[in-house]
Amino acid sequence: MTPSAAPPPPAPGPPLALALAGTIMMVPANLLPVLSTNLTGQTRSDTIISGIVALWEDGMWGIAAIVFTASILIPVLKLLGLGWLLLAVRWPPRDGRRRRTLFYAVLDFIGRWSMLDVFLVAFLAGTVKFGALASVEPRTGIVAFTAVVVLTVLATNAFDPRWLWVEASNPDERTAPDPDGPAGQTP
Amino acid sequence: MSSLIAQFHAEGNAARRVACRLCGYEHVRVPLARGQRAGCVRCGTMLEKRGRFGPHAPLAFALTGIILAIPSVTLPLITVSKIGNIRMSLVYSGAGALWDHGMRILATWVFICGTLAPVLLFATLGALIAARRELDPAMSPRLLRAAHALEYWAMPEVHVLAVLVALIKLGTLVNVFIGPGFWCYTAMSVVLALAWRSFEFESTEPAAGARRAFSA
Repeated sequence: MTPSAAPPPPAPGPPLALALAGTIMMVPANLLPVLSTNLTGQTRSDTIISGIVALWEDGMWGIAAIVFTASILIPVLKLLGLGWLLLAVRWPPRDGRRRRTLFYAVLDFIGRWSMLDVFLVAFLAGTVKFGALASVEPRTGIVAFTAVVVLTVLATNAFDPRWLWVEASNPDERTAPDPDGPAGQTP
Repeated sequence: MSSLIAQFHAEGNAARRVACRLCGYEHVRVPLARGQRAGCVRCGTMLEKRGRFGPHAPLAFALTGIILAIPSVTLPLITVSKIGNIRMSLVYSGAGALWDHGMRILATWVFICGTLAPVLLFATLGALIAARRELDPAMSPRLLRAAHALEYWAMPEVHVLAVLVALIKLGTLVNVFIGPGFWCYTAMSVVLALAWRSFEFESTEPAAGARRAFSA
């Protein structure tokens, strides 16, 4: 009945390796400063977290929430989520394949938004250049953070969601339209 | 999903088959009416849709994007001033600053994701549509791979949000003026999303309405 080609055998090695590399890079990305601000002679360095805290204390809660989501929440969610999906490939649960496929699509979509902080630091460094009066300079942490983003995106890309369907049965006959019908349309 | 349309049989030629991009289940294409979408019977992912804009939409969006790309990279993005000092920045000024600080790989990466990949994606989409229509069908698999790779790393929408966040952050520090380049770049990012969506999911089967029109 089903014309589906056999799903590819799961190869969890590459996504696992990339996700582990991303996890390791999370350490320097969050400990090293990502930028330093020089305001009329006073210099302060900010890590990702201290930058978010500073925004929060300045009353910019919305912006703080956006940066927190993009820089902390999404990378952590992606790494934990990939781990969960890899476990589901190794020990397939009996149901919930649709839910996990949707979850993979969400992980795949949100990954790029982590680049927000990288663009933010680049833009500030390229714009605020008033010498001793006011200037922003990039710091090494941003390189490590970009590595986290790229590694997690590559890890998601290396994961093939068809692995979730290796032992899946065919869709229920009730959901399949009549093959001889005009266009199989349901209103 | 307004309506779920999918059909599968054992026969049917390979060109009319479409595999779900997530779960890999194979379906046979059916004609769609305007505004209709076809979903995978197994996992529910959208397979194809017939957009409201018609079959020429991907080409129109690609050309619009190429036109918008020119002012996006040449006109000032943001101008800031502090006690009489004025500084204008372009869309790739951030990458330039990273380069000047010795972070050359990162600078190249930011330049690719924010500037180069979106522009190249529009050009690739335009070439791909032209190749499919008449020029050289043999070129299209290679161009399609290039388009998918570029789409993966082209993130002008993330760049737009980053600039907006930076502007709110900077507002208390310096005077900020949004330049025409920013509006063109934002428009380009919207057109990129529209172009890619209409290109990736556009049904290649003749529309149900069109078939009726021919037989009438």
